[in-house]
Amino acid sequence: MDKKIAVQVDDLTVAYNYKPVLWDIDLEIPEGVLMAIVGPNGAGKSTLIKAILGILKPIAGSVSIYGKPYDQQRKLVAYVPQKGSVDWDFPTTALDVVMMGTYGSLGWIKRPGQKEKKAALEALEKVGMLPFKGRQISQLSGGQQQRIFLARALVQDASIYFMDEPFQGVDATTEIAIINILKELRKAGKTVIVVHHDLQTVPEYFDWVTFLNVKKIATGPVKDIFNDDNLTKTYGINYKVSIQE
Amino acid sequence: MNNAQIEIQLIASLVAVACAIPGTFLVLRKMAMISDAISHSILPGLVIGFFITQDLNSPFLILLAALTGVITVVLVERIQKTGLVKEDTAIGLVFPALFSIGVILIAKNANDVHLDVDAVLLGELAFAPFDRLMIAGADVGPKSLWIIGTILSMTIGLLIAFFKELKISTFDAGLAASLGFSPALIHYGLMTVASVTTVGAFDAVGAILVVALMIAPAASAYLLTTNLKKMLGLAISFGVFSAISGYWLAHWLDASIAGSITTMLGLLFLIIYLFAPSKGLIAVMYREKQQRTEVSLLTFLLHLKNHSETRERHVNHLQEHINWQKVRAKTVLDLALKNNMIIIDNNIVSLTQKGDEFTSKAINYIITNEDAQIEDMKDDFFLFRG
Ligand SMILES: Nc1ncnc2c1ncn2[C@@H]1O[C@H](COP(=O)(O)OP(=O)(O)OP(=O)(O)O)[C@@H](O)[C@H]1O
Ligand SMILES: [Mg+2]
Repeated sequence: MDKKIAVQVDDLTVAYNYKPVLWDIDLEIPEGVLMAIVGPNGAGKSTLIKAILGILKPIAGSVSIYGKPYDQQRKLVAYVPQKGSVDWDFPTTALDVVMMGTYGSLGWIKRPGQKEKKAALEALEKVGMLPFKGRQISQLSGGQQQRIFLARALVQDASIYFMDEPFQGVDATTEIAIINILKELRKAGKTVIVVHHDLQTVPEYFDWVTFLNVKKIATGPVKDIFNDDNLTKTYGINYKVSIQE
Repeated sequence: MNNAQIEIQLIASLVAVACAIPGTFLVLRKMAMISDAISHSILPGLVIGFFITQDLNSPFLILLAALTGVITVVLVERIQKTGLVKEDTAIGLVFPALFSIGVILIAKNANDVHLDVDAVLLGELAFAPFDRLMIAGADVGPKSLWIIGTILSMTIGLLIAFFKELKISTFDAGLAASLGFSPALIHYGLMTVASVTTVGAFDAVGAILVVALMIAPAASAYLLTTNLKKMLGLAISFGVFSAISGYWLAHWLDASIAGSITTMLGLLFLIIYLFAPSKGLIAVMYREKQQRTEVSLLTFLLHLKNHSETRERHVNHLQEHINWQKVRAKTVLDLALKNNMIIIDNNIVSLTQKGDEFTSKAINYIITNEDAQIEDMKDDFFLFRG
């Protein structure tokens, strides 16, 4: 089967203060996969996503989204940052945060109107957060905050979704709700890339996986490469997971 | 009121508004200290600009001094990026150096420069009305009023045009970058506005008042609202209120206007800090006490649910057993009774149906690690809070 490549990363090296934290990454993500990025804390998972999205400037290498540089393809991409990366005490409501997802299609200066508000309300509905739309964001629980982030990505109506640990600190119900939405996105032909920490659930949730620890260890279909060998290479210690059939 | 009085209040109010707008975003970005740095380090820019233009009110001088402000920000960030020192240390390294260069320049050229360090720090608001702007021989008002008015109009224009960009890059710089709104551009835009405002306000009100007007109204507003637009509105109102009341305080005490306005700002912040409905000190302390009592109540209810034997449920035994002091035990018992959670029969306490339901639900939430839900549930069950 010849699939289109949604994201292509070539020889990417990223450094903070001249200290490389990602070395020479090559990565091809085919269109339509639901992919996990796994690796230990500090492996550079968040850094990889930030470099792909142009938030960080790599010191070498290039990234393309459907064959073109990210700058030209912004509207195809949505991003859910790691939860700790924003100030939850910021004076704003759940609805307002979701509306921010529409800013990209609006561009500079133009302001969101009724159409954007409607899209935001629909996204809130989809993640089950409509009753909380007027809440100040610090008054939401961790799982609810995560849902708001997800709604904000949904509202972008992108082709490729990057999510940095969307399951962090959420309960089992929310986790299932989120994964169902992600699976729906995949069904609709979207590409979804998720930084994930719970190795037990990888085979159940994802069909594609990338092992990362400063270097790329392996990437490919879960059924082919999600094995103890790659886990051991990535996490350093002898890893055994029972893969459910 | 005579004309000069009205003009002074007008200038002070416009300065307050012009400062409150960038100040709100500085406070939200936790960058309050940077305004202090800017306000001091523009001094050498002012002096050098004055050598070149020989006119304290020339737009070129304002731009040059504002540029020094932006350079300060860049220097602070550079030093911070080395990872050797934290941001506040970097600020502490940069601005005294630049400020002292300015002071030395003034001292060395005291005869040529019509500036002194006192005026730089405290301004000369009282004299602002005497420096008039003449156009074609006609008096059109104090120069300071025109300068700050121009800067304020630009600030308001930028705020309206880029409100959404400012909001998103302040709240979530990562998302802003991924959507193509360069956070760096917005950051330096904001720093430029803060610097230009500082320079423009400087001559009239001095460095200390500029910093106070940027930070205090925004910090006060932050304690009162969870809506960014309201926060801006409140910050502006607090600034104007302090400017005008400060003016009259100075008039009444025959004291420095800038000093009195700063005092009003401090007082206003103190009052709001103490009494703000949800984020104020007193509200927080009250909530903590309430939380303590309600957690005790829950502990007590759980105990009742766990023990059916009467000996464990005797009023006196509870006091000894759970190890509470008399007052605490009584408060908890009273609260439980008021909320119909328990009944006391012959000094034996038992859960009512409602109390039982509340306790079961609470246990469930605690087991599933959803303690936050208990708060919501309290609204349904409690007639009286702790
Ligand atoms: N702003 C920064 N400045 C300097 N070093 C950084 C910065 N951000 C991350 N690092 C370093 O880069 C490395 C990779 O960080 P990154 O956040 O990408 O890891 P991660 O795989 O996402 O980890 P986690 O699972 O904890 O989220 C780490 O060693 C981290 O300390
Ligand atoms: Mg991370």
